[in-house]
Amino acid sequence: MKQKVRQTVTKSTATGDPSPVGGDGTLGDGRQLTGAARPRITAQKLAAAQRDISVSEFFAKNRHLLGFDNPRKALLTTVKEAVDNALDACEEAGILPEVWVKIGSVGTNRFRVAVQDNGPGILKKQIPLIFGKLLYGSKFHRLRMSRGQQGIGISAAGMYGLLTTGKPVCIVSKTAPENPAHYYEVQIDTKRNVPQILNGRGDGIDIPPGEAGARWMERHGIEWVDVPHGTRVTIELEARYQKGRGSVDEYLEMTALANPHVTLHYEDPEGNEKTYPRATDELPPEPKEIKPHPYGVELGALVTKLQETTAPTLYQFLTGSFSRVTPTIARRICEASGLSPRSNPKRLSAQEAETLYRVIQEIKIPPPASDCVVPIGEKLILEGLRKLVKADFYAAATRPPAVYRGNPFVIEVGLAYGGGPGVQKISRETLAEMLAECDARTLRQFLITQFDGLGPVGADKIIEEAKLKRRMNPAKLSGAEIDRLHHALSTVNLQEGQTMNVLRFANRVPLQFQAGACVITQTIAQMNWRAYGLSQSKGSLPTGPVTVMVHMASVWVPFTSESKEAIAAYPEIQREIRLALQAVGRKLKMYLLRRERVQHEGQRRNIFLRYLGEVADAISAIRPIDRDYLFQKLVDIARKKTAEADMKLDERGQFVDPSELFDGSVIVVEQPSDSEPENNGLHLSHSAAVGARH
Amino acid sequence: MAKKKTQGTTSATVSRVFTATDARTLTQLQSLAERIISAAENGKDPFMDIPSRTLSNVRWCPRKKIIEMGRSTNRRQLFNLHQAKAFMQTLLVAKGAAELIQAGKTLSIRGLYYRLKHRIKGTNENTFETQEECDPIIEDLEVLLDALREQLHLYADKRGDMVGNIVLVDSGDEIDCSRMGSGGYAIPSIVEPEVIQFKKCTAKFVLHVEKGTVWTRFNEDKFWQKHNCILTHGAGQPPRGVRRLLYRLHNELGLPIYCLLDNDPWGYYIYSVIKQGSINLAYESPRMAIPDAKFLGLRSCDFERCGLSDSVKIELTQVDRRRAMQIAKYPWFAQKKEWQREIKQLLENGFKLEVEALISKDISYVTEVYTPERIAKRDWLD
Repeated sequence: MKQKVRQTVTKSTATGDPSPVGGDGTLGDGRQLTGAARPRITAQKLAAAQRDISVSEFFAKNRHLLGFDNPRKALLTTVKEAVDNALDACEEAGILPEVWVKIGSVGTNRFRVAVQDNGPGILKKQIPLIFGKLLYGSKFHRLRMSRGQQGIGISAAGMYGLLTTGKPVCIVSKTAPENPAHYYEVQIDTKRNVPQILNGRGDGIDIPPGEAGARWMERHGIEWVDVPHGTRVTIELEARYQKGRGSVDEYLEMTALANPHVTLHYEDPEGNEKTYPRATDELPPEPKEIKPHPYGVELGALVTKLQETTAPTLYQFLTGSFSRVTPTIARRICEASGLSPRSNPKRLSAQEAETLYRVIQEIKIPPPASDCVVPIGEKLILEGLRKLVKADFYAAATRPPAVYRGNPFVIEVGLAYGGGPGVQKISRETLAEMLAECDARTLRQFLITQFDGLGPVGADKIIEEAKLKRRMNPAKLSGAEIDRLHHALSTVNLQEGQTMNVLRFANRVPLQFQAGACVITQTIAQMNWRAYGLSQSKGSLPTGPVTVMVHMASVWVPFTSESKEAIAAYPEIQREIRLALQAVGRKLKMYLLRRERVQHEGQRRNIFLRYLGEVADAISAIRPIDRDYLFQKLVDIARKKTAEADMKLDERGQFVDPSELFDGSVIVVEQPSDSEPENNGLHLSHSAAVGARH
Repeated sequence: MAKKKTQGTTSATVSRVFTATDARTLTQLQSLAERIISAAENGKDPFMDIPSRTLSNVRWCPRKKIIEMGRSTNRRQLFNLHQAKAFMQTLLVAKGAAELIQAGKTLSIRGLYYRLKHRIKGTNENTFETQEECDPIIEDLEVLLDALREQLHLYADKRGDMVGNIVLVDSGDEIDCSRMGSGGYAIPSIVEPEVIQFKKCTAKFVLHVEKGTVWTRFNEDKFWQKHNCILTHGAGQPPRGVRRLLYRLHNELGLPIYCLLDNDPWGYYIYSVIKQGSINLAYESPRMAIPDAKFLGLRSCDFERCGLSDSVKIELTQVDRRRAMQIAKYPWFAQKKEWQREIKQLLENGFKLEVEALISKDISYVTEVYTPERIAKRDWLD
C-alpha cells in the first residue's frame, strides 16, 4: 500500500514536470526523486497517507488470490469453502457428515448458494466471527490434517457476496435438538475486518425448537433441513453457473470420491436433484494434532518460538515444543551448538539462535509420527472410483507416510482403466445448453475444456466427424449442426486420442484449477507410462482411457497460492507420488498383459466358432447326418481347445484362480463372456478374421 | 441353409444312375465327410492331409519323362487359427461337388464360386471373397480325393480351337473338324472319352501353335489340308482341356505333336508344360504330359537364319532373363545340350521373337516356308 501511494504521487507530479525525461514513466522513482529540483512530497505528507491495511480490504482488492477471479469460479469457491468447512466440523465432532448443497438462481447472473450440514452447530457468539471476520479460525495455529487452513475461505465468500450483491450472509445454526436455532444475518466491515450483525437489532434471532420454530422459519422464508444439530449458511452472490470442467458439479462429484463417508445432496440451479450416498459408515480416524518437527521450522519461526516460550530452560524448550526431540536429542543439540541446556531460551542472542537452527538441521532426528495423517485407504478409493468412472480395471495404492520439510504426509493413488470418456454419455439437450452457455471462443476449445479426458486430437476427430469447423463459435451452432456434433460425440472412437484424466486431491479436497502448476500433474507427465502399457509422448500426459486420482494427505499441504489449487513441487512429495503411481502402473501392466492374452484366446474361439456352422452344413449335405448333433460335437471340441480363454493367467502365463490374481488393491470388472454362436452375437470385424487366412 | 440342405437330400433320394466315375467320386466325398464326423464324435481335431502342390513336392521322373507329384502332404486342421477358414472352404467345395454329381450337372469354377459364396451367419465375413480364393481350394480337393476337376463336375472357361482332318463325336453330335470354316471347333473344357470319342482320323500329325492369331493364319492358308494334319492352339498356356485332347490324340491315335511357339521364356515354358506337365498340376501329368512333343520354333537362331529385320526384335526384360535361367535349370532341360545352347543363345541375343515376326518377311512365310521346312528337315528341339 505504501509503495502504491508513492507511485501514484510520483506519477502525478511527473506529468506536471516539463523536463523531457519525466513523462514516460519508464525511469525508476528513485532517480526521478533525486533528480528533481524541488521536493514533490514531504515526509509529513507521506506519513498522512500511510495507514494500516485491513486484511479484508487487501483481499477485497486481491480477490483472485482467494479464488474469486471470475464469476464462474466465485460460485465454485463459495460452494467449496462452505462444504469444506461443513465436513471439517462434522469430522472433528465425530459425526458422519451429511451435506446439502443448493444453488438457486435469483435473477441474471445472481445465485443463492446454501450449504447445510449435520455438524455440531456453532455457539451463538462465535457465528459472526467465523462468517464475518477474515483470518479467524481454529485451524491455523495447529499442525493437524484438515481441509481448511487459514480461516479465510468462508468469510471471503461472504465478503464477495456482499461486494457483488450487497446481501449479507445468512446463518442458521443449531447445537442440539432441544436448543433454539440461532439465525444471523452477518456482513463484514471490510475497512475494519469485523463482523456486523444486521438482524435482531445486532444480536441475531433465536428460533425456538420444534413446531413453532419450523412455522417461523417458513413464514420468514428461511430454508432448513430438519436435523438435530447443524449449520446452514446462505450466501447470495454474482456468479455464473456452468457445467463441465471446473464446475460445482465436478467439485461435488470429486468430493464424493475422496470422502466416501459423506452423503452429499445437491440441487443445481435448474432444480435437478442428485444424491451421492456414502460408501462407508465408518468415519475416518481422527487425525492427531502434532507439534512441529524441528526440521520443518525456519529460522524466523524458531526465533519467534524462543521469544514466546514459557519454558524456563532451553532443554525444556526443545523437548516441549517439538515432536521427536527426546531428552537425548535435546542434550545433543545443546552440546553441538555450545549452549547450556539450562540457559534461558528468551535470552538467546540472534547469533546463538542461528547456530541452534543450523545444528538442528544437521543433527539426526527421527521422522515425525505419522498417525497425524489419515489416508482414505485403498479399499475406499477403489469404491469411490468405481462410482465415478465406468471402467474395466481399478487399482489403488497408499504409500507409507513420508516427510517433507518436517511435515508428515501420505500419498495415495487410484487408477481406472477402460471405458470411454464422459463425452459419450451426454444428452442432446445438455449439449445444446452447454454450447449456449460456454465462454469458449472456438468449438475446439469448447470440446477440450468441457470434457474430461478429451484432448486436442479427440476434439479434432469429433469436429471432423461432425463436418464442422474448429474455429466456429460454439454458441452460434444451428440445430442441425448441434445434431451432427452430438452424433459425432457419441460415435467417434476416442480411445486413442483420449488423454489421461487426472483427479487431484489435497486433504480430501478436490483441486480443479492450475493443473499445470501442480506437482501431481508434473510428476505424472514426467513418468514413463509406456512401460505400463499406455502410449505417451515425451513430457506430456499419457493417452488412453485412463483416470488417475492422486491424493496428498498432510498436516500442512504446501499450496502454491492461497486459492489452494496446486501443490508445490517438493522433491520428497514428487518421489512419493512417483512411487505410488509406479505401484498402480505395475498392476495396470499386469492387467493389460493378461487381458491381451485372454482376448487372444477368445478371438481364437470366435474364429473357430464362426466356421463351425458352415462345416456342419457342408458335411450334412455330403452325407446324411443330423446337422445340429454334429455342430454341437464340433463346438465341444472348440471349447476344449480354447479353454484357456476362460482361465485366468498370471504374468508368466500360469493359470491362477481369479481371486488370487490381485490383492485387495485391485478390482477387475469381468467383461461379458464371448458371444456364443447360437445367439448370433458374433460382431467381430472382418479384420479380426484375417488371421485365419493363410 | 436349411433350404440348401433339403435340396441336397432330395436330389440324393432321386435315384439317378451314376456312372462308375461319379459313384467313385461320390464315395470319396462321403468318406471325407465320414472321417470328419468320426473325429468330431471322438472329440479329436478333424483334419485332412492334402498332398502339397509346391515345387518342393514335384519330382522329375527321368524314366517316364514327366513331372510327378511327391508324397509330402500338408495337414489342414479345423482347430488351427491359420487353417480354420481353408478347412471350411474345402468342405464347402466338397459339398458343391457332391451336389453337382447328385444333380448330374456341371458348373464352371466361376459358377461354383458364386454358388458357394455367402455371408457367414452372424458375421460380416464371406465364405469366399474372390474367385482367386476359391480356385486353389478346388485344386486342393482334386489332389485330396485323387479326383480330377472333371470328375467333380467342374470345368474352367474353354479356350483353344481345333481344325483338321478328324471326325469326332462330342456329346453325341458328330463333328467334322475339316468343315469348321474360319472359326474352327472350340475345344471344350472336358474332353474325356465319355464326352468325346474319335470317329475317323486321316491326319498324320498335330501342329499346336501358341495363340489364335497364328492359328487363323494357318487355317486361312489351309495348312492342315495341304499337309494333312490337325491344327490346334491354346490361347497362351493351354488349358487342361486342350492338353488332355493333345494327349489323347497322341496316345490314342499315335499322332506326333509339333509345337510352334514364341521364342521367349514363356514359349519355352508352354512347351515344357505340354511335354512334362506343370508344377501346380503335377498330379495331372500322367494323363496330360506328352514327353514326345517336339519344339519346332521359333528358335533363337531364326533371326539370322530367316534374315529378319531389326524391327521385329523385342528386348528381353530383367524378368525374362531370370525366367530363362530358371528354365535352363529345370532337370528336364538341364541334361539337354541343345536346349542349353538355345537358351544361352536367347540370352546372348538379348531379344525375343514372336511367331508373328515371320509375317514381316511375307504374309504366308510361316505357313508356306518356315513350318514345312522344319518338319521336312526334322529340325526341331526335343
